Amino acid sequence: MAWQRVASISEIDADGVLGVDVDGSPVALYRLGNEVFATAGICTHALALLSDGFVEDGKIECPLHQGQFDIRSGKALCAPVTEDLRTYAVKLDGNDVCIDMERPAANAAPGSNAGDAIRTAAQEKKADGRKIAGSNMQSDESLTQRYVWPAEGLTRIPDWVYTDQTIYEREVEKIFHGRTWNYVALECEVPKAGDFIRSNVGPTPVVVVRADDGSINVFENRCSHRAAEFCRELSGNVKEFVCPYHQWSYDLQGNLAGVPFRRGVDGKGGMPADFDSSQHGLHQLNVKSHRGVVFASYARDMESFEDYLGPEVLKEFEATFDGRKPTLLGYYRHTLPGNWKLYHENLKDPYHATLLHTFLVTFGLLVAGNRSLMLADATGRHGVMASAKSERKSVSSDAKKEMRAYREGMSLAEPRFMDFVEEFDSPWSVTMATIWPNLIIQREMNTLGVRQIVPTGPHEFIMKWTMFGFEGDDEEMTRHRLRQGNLMGPAGFLGLEDNEAIKFVQDGMQHVPGGQHLVKLDPAVAAGTSESLISEASIRAMYRHWRVEMGL
Amino acid sequence: MDDSVLTRDHARAPAALDTRLESLLLHHEIEAFNARYAQALDEQRLADWTEMFTDDARYVVLSRENFDRGLPVGLIYCDSKRMIHDRAFALTETSMFAPRYLRHFIANLVVLSAEINGTVKSRANYVVLQVLFDRPDATLHQVGVYYDVFRREGGALKLAERRCVYDNLLVPNALCIPV
Repeated sequence: MAWQRVASISEIDADGVLGVDVDGSPVALYRLGNEVFATAGICTHALALLSDGFVEDGKIECPLHQGQFDIRSGKALCAPVTEDLRTYAVKLDGNDVCIDMERPAANAAPGSNAGDAIRTAAQEKKADGRKIAGSNMQSDESLTQRYVWPAEGLTRIPDWVYTDQTIYEREVEKIFHGRTWNYVALECEVPKAGDFIRSNVGPTPVVVVRADDGSINVFENRCSHRAAEFCRELSGNVKEFVCPYHQWSYDLQGNLAGVPFRRGVDGKGGMPADFDSSQHGLHQLNVKSHRGVVFASYARDMESFEDYLGPEVLKEFEATFDGRKPTLLGYYRHTLPGNWKLYHENLKDPYHATLLHTFLVTFGLLVAGNRSLMLADATGRHGVMASAKSERKSVSSDAKKEMRAYREGMSLAEPRFMDFVEEFDSPWSVTMATIWPNLIIQREMNTLGVRQIVPTGPHEFIMKWTMFGFEGDDEEMTRHRLRQGNLMGPAGFLGLEDNEAIKFVQDGMQHVPGGQHLVKLDPAVAAGTSESLISEASIRAMYRHWRVEMGL
Repeated sequence: MDDSVLTRDHARAPAALDTRLESLLLHHEIEAFNARYAQALDEQRLADWTEMFTDDARYVVLSRENFDRGLPVGLIYCDSKRMIHDRAFALTETSMFAPRYLRHFIANLVVLSAEINGTVKSRANYVVLQVLFDRPDATLHQVGVYYDVFRREGGALKLAERRCVYDNLLVPNALCIPV
C-alpha cells in the first residue's frame, strides 16, 4: 500500500489528537510540536476511540480506563493496557498529512505489530465484508502476513486459531462451505416423502427433506425472495414449503412453484415479464447418503464420499453403520462456549481420557494400559479414537499408580449399565470417529450417536446429538442403550466433563495476547496415526490439514 | 368468619369438607416435599436427594422435543434407585465441573389424581438458576415441568417417578447437578 493523504495539519490541535477513518479503519493522528504521529484509533484494551482521549507529555490516555500509550512508539505504558498500539509511518507533504497503513512508525515498539494485526484485520473485515469473502490475492497475502504460524511448527498452536473472528469467517468460507462433506441428518429422521428436519451446514441453516421420489434434498432455509428463514418447525411433514412472509412456495426439491400476484393486479405491478421461476429456486446443496447417514456440500464437484473418508476411516464408519437400519431414539442439544475445533481435538486426544474422566478409572473401566489406537486418515482431517474394554482384574499395579483416581473397592450399584453387549464386527468396544468438519460418530460400547457441530462464532458452537439404535433391537436392548446414554451428552458422566474442559480452554485464551498451545506428546510420530494413548500426533495431523485448507 | 356457620355447614356435609381438607393437606404435603427436594439439590446433598425416591423409582430428564415426539432419550436416564444412587455417587466422587450455585424453584403444583392405595400423580413447573462462582450473573439454566408419581413408604411420600421435561431447546454447556 502507498502513502495516502488523511488530513490537513491544521485540523490537528497542537498537543492534540484527531480521529480519522482510513478505508474503514479508525486511525488517531497526534501533533507533538512540529511533528505528526499516527496510531491505530482503537485502544488495545477495550473498544474505545483514542481520539476521545487526552494527550499529555507525548502520551495518549484512553478515555475509557485511563490506560496510556507512548504516541511515538505505541508502547503500552500502564495498566490496564498490556498490548502495544499499532503505529503508522507519517510524512508531511506541505499541509497534507500522509500515512502508510502498511508501515509502522520509525520508532515503533517491537511488540506493536503482531497482536494488533489481528484486530486491524477484523476491523477491515467489518468495514468491507467483500474484502476477504472475495478472497482476492492481495487480501490472502496480507492474511498470511498477519497470521503467522509459530516457528516451532505443528507442536504449537497459536490462540488466534481459536479466538479470531476473521479466521472464523474464513473457516466458514473455506471449510464448511468449501470442499467438504458436511453431516446433515440420519435418513431415519425423514423416513417418508415430505418428512423434513432443520439442520445446518456450518452455521448456515438448511432444510433436509425427502421428496416424493424418495430422494433426499438439502437446501438453504432462506426464501429466494427476501431471505426469510421460512421453515420454523424443527421437524415435520409437508407437501410443499411456503414462505409465510409473501407466500412464495417451493416443491420438495426446492424449485420455486408459485409467486402470488406474479402478473400483478389489474394489469399493474407484478414481476417483470421475463421473470424465470427456474432461476429462483432455493439454493440447493450437493447431497450424498452413505449407509443411512446424509451429507451435504456446497461444492458441486466433490470427490466421492468413500474417497473423502479414505479406506481406514471408511472401514470404521462401516463398522458402526454395519448395514442394519438405524432407528431414532432422540436428541441432546447444547451450546458449548469454546471454539468448534477444540471438540475435534478432544477426540483426537486420547491422553485426556483416563486423566479427565476419573469415572472410567474409578470403576476400573478404562486405564492407560488398555489396547487402543488413535487413527488419522492420510490427510489428517479425520480420525478414530478406539479402545478395547478391559476387565477390572487386568488393571496392572503400574497403571493404577499412574492414576490417582483408581480406587479399590469402588463399585456401581447398577453395574449392568456398563455392560458391553457384543454387536459389532470390530476389535474395539469404543470408537469415536471425527469426520471433518462437523461430525462425530460415537460408538461408546452400546450407546450410539452422531454429534453435529454447528459453529456460531469463534467462541461458541452448538452441538446436536442424534442418538440411535438399530431395527431389530428388542425392548431390553433399547433400555440398555438408554441407560448407557448416561455416559454421554451434556449431563453424561464423561460428556459433561468434556464440555467443561473445553470451556476452560476457551476461558484460558481470553485476555492473554500472543498465547500458544503446546501439543508435543509422542514425538516419534510427527503427525498421524499412533498406537499410544499418550499422544497428540492426530491433533498435529489435523492442523497440518487445516493450514492447507485455510492457506495459512 | 362466624363459627356457627362453619359448624352448620360441617353438620350438613361432613364428607365434602373432609375431602377438601384432605386435598389441602395433600397439596401442602407435596409442596413441602418439593421444597425439601429443591433444598437438597441447591445444597448439593445428593445422597439425601437419592433417599427421596422409592427403590423402583424412575428419574428421567428429557427435552420437550423428545417428550412431545415420544422419543425416549434423556439427558439423565435412571430406571431404578440404584442408578439414581450411582448418579449421585459419581457426581460427588468423580465428576469434574466448575464450582457453581444452583437454585431450584418449584411452583404451580397441580395434583392430578390421588388413589386409595396412596399413589398420587401431580405436575409442577420448575426453574433452575445457575451462578458460576467466578461470573457475575445468574443464568436461567433450565425451565420445565415435573411429571410426578408419588407413593407412600412408611407413611411418608416418596417419588416413584419424576420426569423432568425442559422447554429450553439448548442446554447451556452442561447439566452438572440433577433438576
